[in-house]
Amino acid sequence: MELDSVRELKASLTQAVVVPVATRAASLCYSVAAQPFRNALPDFQTFHRSLALGVARRKKNDFTLAVRIQQRLLENSSEVERIRKRARGEVDVRYIGKVGKCAIPWYRQRQRPLRIGCSVGHFNITAGTLGCFVTNLAENDRSFLFLSNNHVLANENRAKKGDAILQPGVADQGTDPSDLVGSLERFVRLQKDSSNRIDAAVALIRRGFDPEPMIKGIGKISGLVADPAEGKLVSKVGRTTGPTEGRISAFEVDDVVVGYDMGNLKFDNVVEIEGAKDEPFAQGGDSGSLVVNEDLQAVALVFATSDVGGKNGKGLTYTNPLGPVLDKLEVRLVY
Amino acid sequence: MKTSISSLEQARAAKVRAKEVFPRLVDVAGIGITRLDQGYAVKVNLERQPSPEVSLPGELDGVPIHIEITGGAHKI
Repeated sequence: MELDSVRELKASLTQAVVVPVATRAASLCYSVAAQPFRNALPDFQTFHRSLALGVARRKKNDFTLAVRIQQRLLENSSEVERIRKRARGEVDVRYIGKVGKCAIPWYRQRQRPLRIGCSVGHFNITAGTLGCFVTNLAENDRSFLFLSNNHVLANENRAKKGDAILQPGVADQGTDPSDLVGSLERFVRLQKDSSNRIDAAVALIRRGFDPEPMIKGIGKISGLVADPAEGKLVSKVGRTTGPTEGRISAFEVDDVVVGYDMGNLKFDNVVEIEGAKDEPFAQGGDSGSLVVNEDLQAVALVFATSDVGGKNGKGLTYTNPLGPVLDKLEVRLVY
Repeated sequence: MKTSISSLEQARAAKVRAKEVFPRLVDVAGIGITRLDQGYAVKVNLERQPSPEVSLPGELDGVPIHIEITGGAHKI
C-alpha cells in the first residue's frame, strides 16, 4: 500500500475498531477489590491496554498497517479479523503485551532505609554513590555516618560542615528538604600542591533514617581487607553502572594525575581495577562506591577512571584503599 | 640481567627506580605494582603511545615491567 492509503486506513480503523475496544477494556477495570482509594486511583485514571495501530514499511515505497495487540484475549478476536479484512490482508499483526517505561534502577531512586550503592550527593553537585556506613571511633557515640568521596559530599573542599546531603542526589531528582538525609560532617582536604592519598568525606545521617549495611545483590560485608593486593576479583554497586565485577590490575600506584574542577591533582597509593567483563568497572556517578572482594571484605573506595586501558579496553578505575580512608576520617566500618 | 620470579619487596624496590627512570623518557600516568601468576611486576601507565625512537626498559633489577597506555584520569 502507499503511505497515504495506510494512514487513511489507520485513522478510519482507530475510530471504528480501536476506540470501542479500548472503552470496553476500561469498563472491566472498575471491578476492583476493596482497598484504599489512593491505591486504586491509578487504575481509574489510566488508559487501558487493547490494540495499537501504526504504519510498517515492507519495501522502499510499500507500506502496511501495523497492528499491535496488548491483550492476549484480543489475539484472535473479531476486531483483529475486521481490521485484517479492511486492510485486505496487508497487515503486520503482532502480540506485544504490556509496554512499560524504562525502569529507573533502584540505585538511582530514593532508598529508605539508606543503602550502600545508592545515589547521594552534596546539594550543590549532581550525584555520586553512598559507599558504606561508618561510626565514630568513640565507643559511646552511637550516631551513624556514611562514607563517600570529598568531591561527592564536600564538593571539592567548597562545602562546610552541616551542609545538606541529599539521597538521591540532585541529578536523580533529589531535592531539599524532601530528600535531606544527612549533613556533611568532615572531609579530607584535596591538596593542589602536594600528593593526595584520599578523596573521602563522611556525612552524619539525620535522625529517623536507618542504614542498611547489606549490599543489595552482593551480600553482607564481612570485614575490612588487611591488604588490597590480596585476592584479585572484586565487585561494587554504584549509582550509574549498578553492580559490576572487576579485577585488581595494580596496587600501590603512585603519581596518578586526576582531573578535578579545582585542577589536576596527584594521587599516590592508588588501587587500580579493570572491568572483569565487557564493561567498565565504574563510570561517572559511581564515585564513592565501595569495592569488596570475593570474601565480601571491604577493599577500597572508587574515585576516578582513566580514559582507556584495561584488558577489555573500557578504561581503568582508580580507588583509595579503605583502611587508610577510615583511619584518616577516624571512623569504623559498620557491617 | 635475566628476569626471574620477583617478590613483592623486589617489585617495590624496582618501582622506586621506575619512578626515576620512566618520567625522563615518557609521559607517565602512574607507576604501581601488578601481580603475575608467579611473583610481581612493576606496572607503568602511560598517557600516550611513546614515539618509536624511545626505548623503554622491559625490566629493572630483574623485575619485569608491564606498560599500558591508559590516557589521562578524571574524577567520576
